[in-house]
Amino acid sequence: MTLLRRWRLSHLSLYRRLMIWLFCPLAMLVAIMLLQAWFASREAADRAFDRLLDAASLSIAEQVRWQQSRLWMDLPPSALEMLATDAEERVFYALYDAQGHFVTGNRSLPSLPPAGVGQMSYGDVLSRGMPLRLGVLRSRLEGWDRSDRFEVRVAQSLEGRQALANQLFLASLVNIVIIAVLAMGVVLLSARFALEPLTRLRRAIRQRDPRTLAPLELALPRELAELRQALNELLARMRRVRANQERFIGDASHQLRTPLAGLSARAELAIRQSEPAAWRDALVTMHGTATKTARLAGQLLSMTRLNNPEAAPARRSVDLAALAQRCVRESFARHYRHGIDLGVEVPDHPVMVSATDWQLEEALNNLIENAALYGARQITVQVTDAPTRLIVTDDGPGIPESQRLLVLRPFHRGQETGDGTGLGLAIVDSIARAHDTRLLLQTANPDHPERPGLCVVLIFPTDH
Amino acid sequence: MRRSDLSHRPLRLPRCVRRLGVVWLALTLALTAQAQARTLHFAADTEPSRALTIYGVLDAPQVRPLLSDFHRRHPDIAIDYHNLETLALHARVLQERDAPRADVIMSPAMPWQYQLANEGLSSTVDSPAAADWPSWARWRQELFGFTFEPIVMVYRRDLARHMTPPQSHADLLSLLRQHPRMLDHRVVTYDPRRSGAGYTYAIEDARISARYWDLVEALGNSHSVLETTTAAMLEGLSQGRYWIGYNLIGSYVQDYVAEHPELVMVVPKDYALVLQRLVMMSRDAPHPDTARRFIDYLLSASAQRLLATQTTLGAVHPSVDGAGTAADLRDRLGEAIRPVQIGPGLLATLDTLKRQTLLEQWQQAFDNRPTHADGPLADPSPLPDAATE
Repeated sequence: MTLLRRWRLSHLSLYRRLMIWLFCPLAMLVAIMLLQAWFASREAADRAFDRLLDAASLSIAEQVRWQQSRLWMDLPPSALEMLATDAEERVFYALYDAQGHFVTGNRSLPSLPPAGVGQMSYGDVLSRGMPLRLGVLRSRLEGWDRSDRFEVRVAQSLEGRQALANQLFLASLVNIVIIAVLAMGVVLLSARFALEPLTRLRRAIRQRDPRTLAPLELALPRELAELRQALNELLARMRRVRANQERFIGDASHQLRTPLAGLSARAELAIRQSEPAAWRDALVTMHGTATKTARLAGQLLSMTRLNNPEAAPARRSVDLAALAQRCVRESFARHYRHGIDLGVEVPDHPVMVSATDWQLEEALNNLIENAALYGARQITVQVTDAPTRLIVTDDGPGIPESQRLLVLRPFHRGQETGDGTGLGLAIVDSIARAHDTRLLLQTANPDHPERPGLCVVLIFPTDH
Repeated sequence: MRRSDLSHRPLRLPRCVRRLGVVWLALTLALTAQAQARTLHFAADTEPSRALTIYGVLDAPQVRPLLSDFHRRHPDIAIDYHNLETLALHARVLQERDAPRADVIMSPAMPWQYQLANEGLSSTVDSPAAADWPSWARWRQELFGFTFEPIVMVYRRDLARHMTPPQSHADLLSLLRQHPRMLDHRVVTYDPRRSGAGYTYAIEDARISARYWDLVEALGNSHSVLETTTAAMLEGLSQGRYWIGYNLIGSYVQDYVAEHPELVMVVPKDYALVLQRLVMMSRDAPHPDTARRFIDYLLSASAQRLLATQTTLGAVHPSVDGAGTAADLRDRLGEAIRPVQIGPGLLATLDTLKRQTLLEQWQQAFDNRPTHADGPLADPSPLPDAATE
């Protein structure tokens, strides 16, 4: 397992990968070349030295004649000397007649299968423990009355040809090594050049001010230009996110400053007065403002929590019907006091969705609160099965179609009247996004122009 | 004609003899006439002792200074030196080829010694001295020519009263042609049919010059006497039976002439064959270490100086000069020096058919039969078709 991991190429740097993929074939190529050079040099040395066997046996064969009713030969010493090069090989020769009988020679030598018409056959033999290169020349007497066949066999030890082969191989080896070193140099250089834009890109990224989100302006090859574009798109998204955050923070501080300034002014006014009745009025007002501000702060907090991408709360299987009933039950009394008719319609069986229950509760509470704050008299919470939907319908003033997208942004209020914080629907939108649900804003009662009402639908994905 | 007691073979070889020479004849390079001890032994002076066995063809007076000097330098080595005749040595080495008893083999019979090495019965001597040995005097690092012995002519001092003594082969030929009567039965040389050494010189002479055959013919015309040993020729010359001796071994002549002032030695000026004693270490030698040491010693400057001064064998080592060295002979004779090449050409010398061909040709030239009067290249028994060409 660890071994596998160690060998996994994805861990290696691009440079190493390139090196491996270039050097492995290069090494194989070099090995093949060396092998080929080895065989070629053996063959060349054999060819060169076989010429000597050829010449020596021809020169011996020339001296073969018929004399005293037998094969006769006046062995020329030069023929034997020809066979010994600077390597001072051991030299053997023998003359055989047509029947394969030894006529003369300094050692009996084996025969070889014929190679072709008029051609000498060569072979490596082991004679009395001595490795020899043997050449066999088949010839015949050229006379009017006798044309006996005979065989001249000559052999030499291998020192000379081995020395030549080694010398040839060494020369090829030097060439191959030089070529390999050059190739390696070229590979190293080209890999460096090819990867240089990557280094530039890395440097450019590293040298950037960490606070800047400006797009990268860098001339890069096509493959990296795509990467740069993707990076720039990401940067652009981050810029937008940061702009949103900055605006949110600005709005939030503005929203908090206004009630706090109000509280401060009201308190100051009350201090100047001496009547307890005026104090009480001031306190009531201040209480209202403080409550509102507390809710605002609470909503800001939950908004921040929801927008934090690092914190993805675990989802569980939640019974949507039970959740709707619970929420309505908890807030029923409060709304009833203000004369709001809050109702719930759920199927008589559990409707299960995968969700974070506190977030769904918060969304539902926000929708109910929102409807109440904007003057609804009647609020209905519905849960339907297939498709799984959570619907909150009210009979309030509704939201004109042109405003419906805008109200989802934080601190945008559909109208300046009412006590809303401007965060309710934004929070619902965030929760909907987090649960992959579709959020629809519809007119609840289009026949009623003054109070068209609002119908907010959360459609859960079908696989839940 | 004086017959050597060592020669007893018929003139013509039996046909199918291929193992050269046991039947051949007693090779007569060793002066066996001077009866010498067949073995020399030097016991080790220190313990532990190591052994060294040498087969050689070198009589005690020549070999003793060498061995005792070596023994002085290496007192821990017990030396056994066996003095053999060349063919006996060759046969013995072949006979012991699977379990050699000799560590070092020295022989002046160059073709025979070369044949042993070519067969792989020698082994490489890896030493700086062996590697630096002149390449013309060695074969691989296995066979080393450690002496330098010219083949010479000898004449009686009183010959000058009748004619200009010969200084070269050409001189000898013209003398024989000008004074065939006066020199009748007065010239002595080796019989190549009965002496291995004589045969070797004949084949080398024939390779060097085609005029050799004219010389053989002239020798035959004046009924030259054929001997089988240098010693016999020297004896005859000293006794006045012969006036001129042709192709004698210089190293023996030198000694003899020193004691016999009536004789003069001549190294031929046109070309002088040079014989080299070849030394090799046996393959699978029982004592390779001592063998290597001995060969190293033979090739050392000190042993070579000793060869030049205390023996008549002649030194090869390039750094040794003065009388009795290769350098000295080369200085005096220059290009005329023809050492017998240590190479595969020597194998041709041992070829049975080659030998028969050459001996027949020699015999015909010597006997001066009319059919062969037209020169050395005439075929003794020409093929029918060859005659028509």
